[in-house]
Amino acid sequence: MLAAPRIARTVARALLHPRELERLRTLRWSDAGHGYDLMGLNPDWVALGAGIVRPLYDVYFRVTSHDAKNIPPSGGTIVAPNHSGTLPIDASLLYLDVLRHTSPPRVPRFVADTFVPQLPFISTFFSRVGAVSGNRTTVRRLLDEGELLVIFPEGTPAINKPFRERYRLYPFRVGHAELAIRHRAPVVPTAIIGAEEMWPTLTRIERFRAFGAPYLPVPASPVPLPAHIHVYYSEPVLLHERWTPDQADDPRVTREAARLVQDAVQRLIDHGLRDREGVFA
Amino acid sequence: MTGVLVTGATTPLGRALVRSLLEEDAVDAVLAVAAEEKWPFEEDARLHYLRVDLTRERKIRDLLFGIARDLEIDSVVHSALHRDVRDHGPGVRALNVGSTRQMLFLSEQHPTIRRFVFRSYADVYAIDPETPAVIGEEHPLELSSTMPQLVRDRVEADVTVCTRMGMAPLHIVVLRCAEVPAPNSGSQLWDYLQEPVCFRPLGYDPMINVLSIEDSVRATRLALRTEAQGVFNIPGKDVLPLSEAIAAWGRRGIAVPGPLLGPMYALRAATRGSQFLYDLNRARFHFSGVLDGRRAREVLGYEPAHSLDWPALRAA
Repeated sequence: MLAAPRIARTVARALLHPRELERLRTLRWSDAGHGYDLMGLNPDWVALGAGIVRPLYDVYFRVTSHDAKNIPPSGGTIVAPNHSGTLPIDASLLYLDVLRHTSPPRVPRFVADTFVPQLPFISTFFSRVGAVSGNRTTVRRLLDEGELLVIFPEGTPAINKPFRERYRLYPFRVGHAELAIRHRAPVVPTAIIGAEEMWPTLTRIERFRAFGAPYLPVPASPVPLPAHIHVYYSEPVLLHERWTPDQADDPRVTREAARLVQDAVQRLIDHGLRDREGVFA
Repeated sequence: MTGVLVTGATTPLGRALVRSLLEEDAVDAVLAVAAEEKWPFEEDARLHYLRVDLTRERKIRDLLFGIARDLEIDSVVHSALHRDVRDHGPGVRALNVGSTRQMLFLSEQHPTIRRFVFRSYADVYAIDPETPAVIGEEHPLELSSTMPQLVRDRVEADVTVCTRMGMAPLHIVVLRCAEVPAPNSGSQLWDYLQEPVCFRPLGYDPMINVLSIEDSVRATRLALRTEAQGVFNIPGKDVLPLSEAIAAWGRRGIAVPGPLLGPMYALRAATRGSQFLYDLNRARFHFSGVLDGRRAREVLGYEPAHSLDWPALRAA
């Protein structure tokens, strides 16, 4: 066992309950020979990632998960949630939620923006816990291998949407729909309720372009607010039952498919907003 | 396959390939070509060694239409590319690009040659944050003018061979091989890992892929048998982060701010005559680039099987 995974395992042991650690040992992943998969995922780092998120998930944001049984236990799957929160805290909470509520645990392979590999330390951490850079070849390969992808169809701009636009979805991009049709993968519409209030963006510095980042967000509060987060999973949308793989190139088809997914996520958001007792309750 | 011509035959890879071909009864003759005066390894009745200056068209013509025709050579494995990244100029280009072009074009006109296998390199692929970390055969090529001549030549030679696929009366196979960390093979990684302390960029730990000589030979043998033609990535069995490769090699890795590495390794190259150039490796020391070998698996039946002998490398 080499240094980095050993350290990750030791820290994860300190952060996670032994039962949770034990569960994570049953993780499904594909070892490329040295304890890492082709993209750099390492199971000890996945446990470390879960351990780091756990206090936020359990204590600070008190995440409640609804209908996680809708996530298929195996096979190529696309989870399509709304996106918000200035920094991708919603993604980290969803990460642990999927790990905890799938059996055996499935690693959510987050599809990150292409500037992420340029970020020192973060790029390495992201790749070790399973995130991948958002390009077609990579995500196609992961779906072929039966992995669970998390794609935010609103894209990076949504993470900094103005507070007045909370829970109003930006138009969904079509990439996830095209992939779902082509690879016959179910799409699980997902709503993250609470994240759109947890850390509103005050403004953004457009001239900040370090490491390829599109801008520097400036949040309205120094730390995220302890909103109660609810994660809702809808029944999978089977786009591939409506369209054949060779229709995945048709822009009208992918637009229509993306709209179906967007409508499903919006319905889930509306349901979640109706059901909750308050932002912090 | 009755006779095989192997260029670059005295490199570790070339020698292993020649030895492997001689183990096969179906091979009547192996014509080994290199720049050395004599074949420096074990002799064999079916082995014919020739010193040839491949930068001269006449010499290539004499080789192919002389002894190669006499031996009824039907397959060519061309792997004689320049190995020292510090060298440049017309002579280097003549070997890398000119000899490849001549070998290919003359093979097309040859009465007995039916198959041309070109051993290319993963260096021909561009690595940057925008491109996939898992590299397929359609991946963008490294066409940056800032790259050293060695890389630009390798890309040009590769493309030169690719342009003749389907046009020539030859079966053409291009093998884009992952790096084989071996001495005298032009491996940047080998040179990088020779020091007890290896510096790498702070905050980055990309995935790398290395190929063993055994797997490289096996892939070439499969390419010599296939009826298909095309470009195939040849990945190795070892896929690991750079930091772990350094540790597995028994070296101490120290992460330092990236901008310092260029001057540090330039100083090392200037004072110690080493071949490792950080500028050449900057992208792959920041961003992952692992070959996707699915096409080779499906068409050639190639699956990486041999890991590097890490304990032996550590001991060395």
